[in-house]
Formats: sequence, C-alpha cells, structure tokens
Amino acid sequence: MSWITKNLWLIPILPLLAAALISVCKQPRRRTAATLAIGSMVFSFLLSCCAFATTLHSEHGGFREVANFDWFSFGTTTLRLGWVLDPLTACMLVMVTFVGTLIFIYSIGYMAHDENFTRFFCFLALFAAAMLGILIANNLLLLFISWELVGLASYLLIGFWFHKPSAAAAAKKAFITTRIGDIGFFIGILWLYSSTGTLLFYDNGAGCLESSALTKLVTETTFAGMAVSTAIAILIFCGAIGKSGQVPLHVWLPDAMEGPTPVSALIHAATMVAAGVFLVARVYPLMEVTAPGLPSVSTALQVVTWIGAITAVFAALIAVAQNDIKRILAYSTVSQLGFMMMGLGMGGVAVGMFHLITHAFFKSLLFLGAGSIIHGCHEEQDIRHMGGLKKYMPLTFATYAIGMMALSGVPFFFSGFWSKDEILHSAFTWQVSKIPFYLAAFGALLTAFYMTRQICYAFFGSYRGHKHPHESPRVMTVPLVLLAIGAIVLGVFGTPAWPAFETYLSGHDAEFDVAKLLRGETLSVMLISICIVAVGIFAAWQLYGRKPVKTADQPDPLEAVNGNVYRWLANRLYIDEFYDATVIRLNAAFAYSADLLDRVLWGGAVRAASLVTLAFAHINRTIDDLFINFGFDESCHNIRRSSGFLSKLQDGQIQNYLRGIGVALATLVLFLIWGCR
Amino acid sequence: MNFDYAQLFSAAIPETVVVITAFLALLVDFIFLRNLPARTRTSLLATVTAVGCLSAIAWMGVSHSTYRLDDAIFVVNPMTQLVKQIILALTIFTAFISVQTNFTRHLGEYFILLLLASAGMMFLVSAENILAIFLALELLSLSLYVLTAFNKQSVFSAEAALKYFLFGGMSAAFTLFGLSLIYGVTGEMNLTAIAAKLAGKTTDPLFYVALVMTVIGFGFKVAAAPFHMWAPDAYQGSPTPVTSFIAAGSKVASFFILAKILFTGFAGAEGDAGWHHYISGWTPVLAILAALSVIIGNLAAISQKSVKRLLAYSAIAHGGYALLGILTADQKGFASLIYYVTTYALTVIGAFGVVAVVENYGGDKLSDFAGLSRRAPILSACMMVFMLSLAGIPPLAGFFGKFYVFTSAIQLGAKSLGLLWLVILAIAMSAVSLYYYLQVLKQIYVVDASDKTTVSVALPTQFVIVALAIAVVVLGCVPNLLVGKILAALSLG
Repeated sequence: MSWITKNLWLIPILPLLAAALISVCKQPRRRTAATLAIGSMVFSFLLSCCAFATTLHSEHGGFREVANFDWFSFGTTTLRLGWVLDPLTACMLVMVTFVGTLIFIYSIGYMAHDENFTRFFCFLALFAAAMLGILIANNLLLLFISWELVGLASYLLIGFWFHKPSAAAAAKKAFITTRIGDIGFFIGILWLYSSTGTLLFYDNGAGCLESSALTKLVTETTFAGMAVSTAIAILIFCGAIGKSGQVPLHVWLPDAMEGPTPVSALIHAATMVAAGVFLVARVYPLMEVTAPGLPSVSTALQVVTWIGAITAVFAALIAVAQNDIKRILAYSTVSQLGFMMMGLGMGGVAVGMFHLITHAFFKSLLFLGAGSIIHGCHEEQDIRHMGGLKKYMPLTFATYAIGMMALSGVPFFFSGFWSKDEILHSAFTWQVSKIPFYLAAFGALLTAFYMTRQICYAFFGSYRGHKHPHESPRVMTVPLVLLAIGAIVLGVFGTPAWPAFETYLSGHDAEFDVAKLLRGETLSVMLISICIVAVGIFAAWQLYGRKPVKTADQPDPLEAVNGNVYRWLANRLYIDEFYDATVIRLNAAFAYSADLLDRVLWGGAVRAASLVTLAFAHINRTIDDLFINFGFDESCHNIRRSSGFLSKLQDGQIQNYLRGIGVALATLVLFLIWGCR
Repeated sequence: MNFDYAQLFSAAIPETVVVITAFLALLVDFIFLRNLPARTRTSLLATVTAVGCLSAIAWMGVSHSTYRLDDAIFVVNPMTQLVKQIILALTIFTAFISVQTNFTRHLGEYFILLLLASAGMMFLVSAENILAIFLALELLSLSLYVLTAFNKQSVFSAEAALKYFLFGGMSAAFTLFGLSLIYGVTGEMNLTAIAAKLAGKTTDPLFYVALVMTVIGFGFKVAAAPFHMWAPDAYQGSPTPVTSFIAAGSKVASFFILAKILFTGFAGAEGDAGWHHYISGWTPVLAILAALSVIIGNLAAISQKSVKRLLAYSAIAHGGYALLGILTADQKGFASLIYYVTTYALTVIGAFGVVAVVENYGGDKLSDFAGLSRRAPILSACMMVFMLSLAGIPPLAGFFGKFYVFTSAIQLGAKSLGLLWLVILAIAMSAVSLYYYLQVLKQIYVVDASDKTTVSVALPTQFVIVALAIAVVVLGCVPNLLVGKILAALSLG
C-alpha cells in the first residue's frame, strides 16, 4: 500500500481540524481564521495532487487501494470502516480542493465586511471536510455520515444570514428536502447491509460492490419481480435526487441562493450538488448490474436517465424566465446536474464525471463572477437593474463570458462543449429510447438561450441601476481568472480524439487519434450540437441583444412574444405552490390534528394523573405528619431513654459486674443445652 | 520430651527483640535521662521503643521461615507475622501519643510495661496450645492492669485498675476452668488435636460449659457484652495512652486468638446461628454476644458526657461488629475480621490521641471539646476523620471495614441468608451510632469555645495523629493495600 493511501485520511481531517480550531477563535481573529482554513485546504490540495499522481501510474486495469480498519464490535459482528483511493476519488479530490481553495480565497474579499467572518470560515472548513470525507469513504456508512455532515454544513451556510427570514426559511427548506431523499438512501443502506452483511465498497472480494455480493443481490428478487439490487440502487439514488436537486426534489436549490455567494459557488456549483452524482458513480457497479441473460440496460440506470433528462429540460425552461442573476444560475445548475445524471445513465461513469468536473469549474466561475457583479453593483441581484457592466467591470465581463460560453457549449475551445457533446453522443446511441436525446438537445438549446439572455441583460446596453458600479478587488478577480483558464483547458482531456479522462477512470492508456473525430456518428452529433448552440444564442441575441432594454420596469421581450408561457416559467411552473397546496398543507393538517390530540387527549390524561398524584401527596403528608414523624420522634425519645437506662446498669459496683458474668454463664449454657434437645 | 530451645529462639527472635528493647528502655531511662524534662524523656524513650519495634517488624518482613514447635506451643507463619507487625506498629503509635501526657514520673517502668504487654500479645498470637495461650494472656493482662493504675495522682485510675483487675481475674478464672474442662474432655493441649478429639462429642453438656467458660475470658478481653462492664470504668480511669493501647493493640491480639481457638480448636462445633435453623454450637453464643454488644454499646454511648467513656461504649459496639466476622467461620470472614480490627485500632488510637491533647486543657468531657476547630484546626480535622470513620462513612476505612464484615456475614448463608437478622440489626445500630459521633463533631465545629487559648501539641504526637488520619483515608480509598496482604498471608499460611 502506498504511503498516500495510508495517509489519505489526512485530507478530510485537516479542514476538520481547522474548523475545530476556528470554532474556538474569538470573533475578531479574522486573519487566524482565514489562514487556518485556507492553509488546511492548500495542504489538502497538495495531498490530493499526490494522490492523483499516484493513480496515474497503473500497470493493469485500474488503480485501486483500500485501507480498512475495525471501528467497533458488538457481539460477533464487527463494523469496519475504511477509505479507498481510485481514479474516481483522486480526480474528485483534486477538483474539490482546488475549487475549494479558490473559493476560500475569494471569500476573504467577499466577506470582508461581515462581522461573523470567523464563523463563516469555520463552516466553510467543516463543509470541505465533510465533502472530502464523502470522497474517500470506502464504506457506505462512513459516506452517509459525511453526507449528513455536508447537509448540516450547508444548512448552516445557507442560513448564515439567519436574521433574514428568507435565508432561515431557505436553510430549513434545504435541510428538510434533502432529508426526504436521505430517508430512501438510509433504507437502501440498511437493506444492503442486511442482504450482504457488509457496507464496505471494496474489501478484497468481500465488499458490497464486488462480484460475489452483486451476484447474490441480482439473483434475489423482491416485490413485482424486481431484483434486490435494483431496489437498493433506486433507494440509494433517492439520496442523490435530494442532494443533487433532481426533479421532484429540486425546489430547495434555487432558494438556497439566499446564502452568501461563495457558498452558492461552493455548494451549488462544485461540490455538494456533485455529491449526488458522485454517489451514483461510486455505486455504479450496483447500478449497472443486471441478471445474466438480460443484456439490456439495468432498470436503475434507466430511472437515473429519465430523471436526469426530465430535470435537464425542466430546470432549463424555468431558467429562461428568471430575473435574479443567482437564481438563473441555480436553475442552470439543476439542469446541468440532469445532464450529468443522463451521462451516467447512458454513457457510464466517465461521461457523467467528465461533465461534473468541467461543470464544476465553469459553474463556480459563473457564480463567483455573479458574486463579483453583485458586489460591484452594491448587493443588487436583479439583472433588470444592471446593464452595460462591460464597461465598468472588464475583467469580470471577460471571465464571465468564458464561463457562459463554456456552459452554453460553444464549440472547440471550451470544455463544456466537449463534455456536453459526450452526453449527447451517448444519448444518440442509447438502445432503449431516443427520447432522452431529444430532451437533451432541447435542454442544450435552452441553456444557450438563457445564458445569452443573462449576458445581454447584465453587460450590454446601458446601466439601469442607481449607485455607480465598480470592478471588484484583486482577491476576487484572481480566482476568476484561474477558474476561467480551467474552464477552457479541461476540455482537452475529453475530446473524442484523445479521451484521456475516460481512459484514466477505466485504467487504460489514452491514444491520440484525430480520425475518431471524423467518424460519421461522432461528427454528426457534433454538428447537431453546434447547430443547437448557434440557434440558441442567435435567438436570444435577436430578442435581447439587438435592442437592449432601456428601463428596469420594461416587460421582458419574451413576455411580449407569449405572455402566458412566460408567466408560467417565471413562476417556476408553480411547483412550489403545488407543494404548498398538497404536501405542506397535508402535513400542516396532520400536525394540527396531532397537536389537538396531544392537548385534549394526552394532556387531559396527564392532568388527571397529576391531580390524582397531588391528592395522594396530600393524604401522604397528613399521614406523615400524624404518624411517621410522631412515631419517629417517639422512637428517638425511646432510644434516648433506653440509653439512660443502660448507663444506669453500669453502677460502678464491681460485685454486680461479677454477678453479671455468673448470670451470663448460666444463661448461655442453659441456652445451648436447651437448643440441642 | 526433647525440646529444641535453639529452634524456639530462632522462631521467637522478634519477641526477644521486643523484650530486650523493654529492658533497654528501662536502663536508658535510669542511667541517662533522669534529669531531663519529662517531655524530652518520653520522646527519647518512645524513640527507643520505636527503634526496637521497627527492627522486630523489619526482621519479620525479611525472614520468611515458618515454625511449629512441639505441641504447637509456638507457631510462626505469614499470618501470625502480619498480625504481630500490626501490633508492633500500634505499639509505636501508642508510645508517641504518650509524649503528650504527663501522668507519671516513672517513665522507664511505663515503657517496659508497654513493651512487655506487646510481647505478651505477640506470644498470644503465636500460641496454638491452650496452656501457652493462657500464659500469654496473663502476661498481657497483668501488664495492662498495672498500666491502668499508672496515674498515681488520680483516684479514678486506681479504682479503674482495681475493677479491671477483679473483673479480669474472675474472667481468667473462668477461662482457666473452661480450658481445663476441655483438657479433661479431650486430653489434649494443642488446638488441632483438641478439634480432632472433640469430633462427635459436641452435644456433651460438659463441652458446652467448657465452651462458654472459654468464651467468657476472651469476651472480657474484647469487651463484648455482657462481659463489657469493666470497659467504661477502665477506659475512663486509665491514662489516655493506656486506654488507647487497651482499645487497639490488645483488641487485635485478642480477636485474633479468639478466632483461632474457635476456628481451629472448636472446628466442627460451629452450630448455626441462622434465624430458622438454629443448631447449638459456638456461633449462636457469639451471635448473642454480638447482638448484645451492638445494642448496648451504641445505645449507652448516646447519653455519655465523657468522650473517653463514649469511646469505651463505641468500642463495645465495634467489638460486636467484629464478632460478625468470626461468625462466618471461614477464611473470608477471618480476613474481614483482621481488616476490621486493624483499621478500628488505627482510628481509635488517633481518636484517643486527640483526647490526650485536649485533656491537658481541662478534661475529657464533651464540653471541653467545644470550639476546638478554632483552637486546633489540624487536630480537629483529624478528629473528624476518626469520628466519621468510626461511624462508617465512605470513603474512610471504617466504612469499608463494616462493609467487608457485613457482606461476608451475609454471603455465609447465601442460600438461606441466615445471618441477615444480625446484619440488619448491626446496620440499624450503626445508624444510631452516627448520632453520638456527630455530637462530638458538633462540639468541635459548631459550639463556641469558652476557652480561646490555642492548643499546643507535641510534635511527635501531632505527627502520629496526622499520619493515622491519612492512613484511615488511604486504607478506605485503597483497602486492597491491607486486604491484599491479609489474603496473601492467609493463602500462604
């Protein structure tokens, strides 16, 4: 085992330690807090790089090392935890620590004026620690523990400005909504444990993701003829639905924008939402396993694909008609997560994960860019009150434009193009149905459209706000530049000509082959994708770019085209209202009736019991006063009197003493003789 | 009969050392110390005593030989050596407490008697032959009678000594009569042989008479009711260091030999003191003595005005608790008995040490202790430790001693819980005992002093009292220090 595998636990522990130390820091010690948090992240990043470098050298089909240890034993069962180092872990580690470090640095500038600066960095470090814990876990339970810690940290961060009612509500919403998914996840864990007796992923052939356990799971069937493996996989996927904001549990993600912008970038771009995707990738062997003799795609993966496809289009539609710059990005994230799920469902781990990595870079770039804009426009988030920022914030504009083009999938130079192309390609060749391909294509069109709309609103035309906008400080713009470079460069590793990322994950060597680019199928999908992007951008430019809106209260040009559709989209298809009217009202009614029951029935019973007890207590006290106390006093008195009597026996006359001996002798002897009759 | 005197000598080296020390003390006092102030003399003589006793203790610690001389006249095994070491330690403590008092000018004689009494106890511990037992007992008793009378200025001392002597002489007569009856029944002197001969004759009325008579003599020594009547007068009248010696060292030795006679000599005649399955034997007799002691000791102590008299009744009660350890008639009970009497002895020497100090400023009445905490805070704190330990408050040694004795008594009849009645009685009575111990502490800590002068304490006495208080706390917290030694000695012997 290499030393990095042995010491992999250091990666999450360092930020955790930093969080613990910061939590005992006094509020004014800002510099200490920031240094600790960023320092720990930098160290984790360096360690992650080492881990990454180690995984690059693999001789035979995929690098994987695990370190397991006994946690505790109860009875004859021993619960074992552990961590794993494989390419999937390593690339995620590098991505999370790199993006995390940049976001931490950026936060120094963004939170500079906040009085709870130290608390913020404490939560950030805790969040990073939990996220890294998910990545290295080799045990579903350890993963779940970290998973819940991530949930807690995101709750704390979203509700960081808890004095704002909306922020407090959003934090609560995020926590509860993801928890609904986690119930399914947890049931899945329990089921998996009871079926296989282990929660370790890899354990020299005895782990739950290894062939013997999978063979067992796939041959057992549960209700409706479904394989146990399918049922467990879908339950685990429930957790991913919650965390990654898939339909129908996506509602928390846009609201979570109430948190500080670095949080939005960290949670909703790079890491937390990616946790769901990562989870699916981690348990992919369980997801894809099918019974022998049935060569079709597994049911679990079909579920993943459909959910992903629906989410991708659904969220993109809503994004078209939003005006809050962060909300647009949030819905865009939901939509992109749908793309990732589709990639996982149809193309395999590499396709989904590649989009995850590229998306992490350009989406955090966009979020941080949005943060920079909001910061420059004096906390203004409504794009209708921006405009013409190109002139005031040139650096932000340049990097933001790179992010936008990467997200939209503008060809050749941007990573988003290549990763999205992979997904479209795998959708095109999927055996089960062609519909996901059309949905994905439509989603991609919408993506290009709403991003162009946003850029036009924010950067072109004339400034419609009140206060004078300004460029952000260096500490905020430098991370933007670094991320922008990442957003461009990363695409190189996933082109069909040189699929380095895919071969890295599967453990082969990549070969450079330009001819693959020109193969008929690949080429046609690529051409379709280029056309889609062109159409999307052109349409948005026609509507918003050529005649920029003049004033803030002017109606949206799209509204002019079709008011009804626009209103539906602007109100997010009334999903939140639907939930309010159904689930939440039902819950409220149930809570009310439970409360009533509690008050009247149980409360009454308790009150009655207390009355009876009181009555008894009164009787008791009377008895106590009259008999017990009196009796006690009397017996104490008797004891004293007997004491006087006994000491009078001691009259000082030695004759009497000696008589006592005689009497005692006679009595005792008689007693003994009488006793043995 | 060939008697190997060389062997006797090598077996009795510690006793020899003590006797030589006794004469040395007398010699030193006569030749060198006559003209020194009394306190210095006492300190120096106490030092001589301590050196002698310590060398005997050290010898016993080093030498591990065991002996069993002809007809068990003198027996040496790890258990006897441990008990002798305890007795000598108690003698040292008593000697240093004597520094505080000035009841006599004849200090050489005082120390020689003290050491001879100790030698008597040591012989008593080593004897397993009824004749040797009686001789050792007399050596011990006669020394103690004289010591009791040592305060020649006090008429009470003389009266107490006379009562003690008359009562003791009478008891000794009974014991001798009992022992001779036993010899008559069995024709044997040594305890093991007696037990063998007694087998099958245990329902003989003559044996019962012999049994009760034998028990009387030792009941007198351990002050078990109804043979306790000398104790309050003797305790009160004697010079306080002598009182502490009677209450501590003499009691350890007497309990040890009583247990040995009953366990070894009357083995097979135990009987049963259980509530519903009474069988005649020595346990019912001891159960009656224990019950009476516990009741009389604790109740009579309540109305005492003199602290020494109060401690005398308390000693009677504690004798009753300790008898519970013998009642179990097994090794565990024996270990609990030794632990109990040792810790009790340590506590009671400390308590009498405090009394000896306070006596110099008035008397030993409860009211003389009023406000002591302001006049001598360290001494008061030590007294609190001693009183609470006697009352059996955890984590002091007294608590663990009681606990150990009671649990071994209960475990005896694990099936029938036969002795439960006695244990319940003992626990109830120890609740009563808390009252009079707290009376003493109330005087010390709550009541205001009439006399505000600071109490001055001789340094050796102060040192010994504090050391005893610490020992009581430590043995309570880590009882295994002593219990482990006792059990190890038992398993070896």
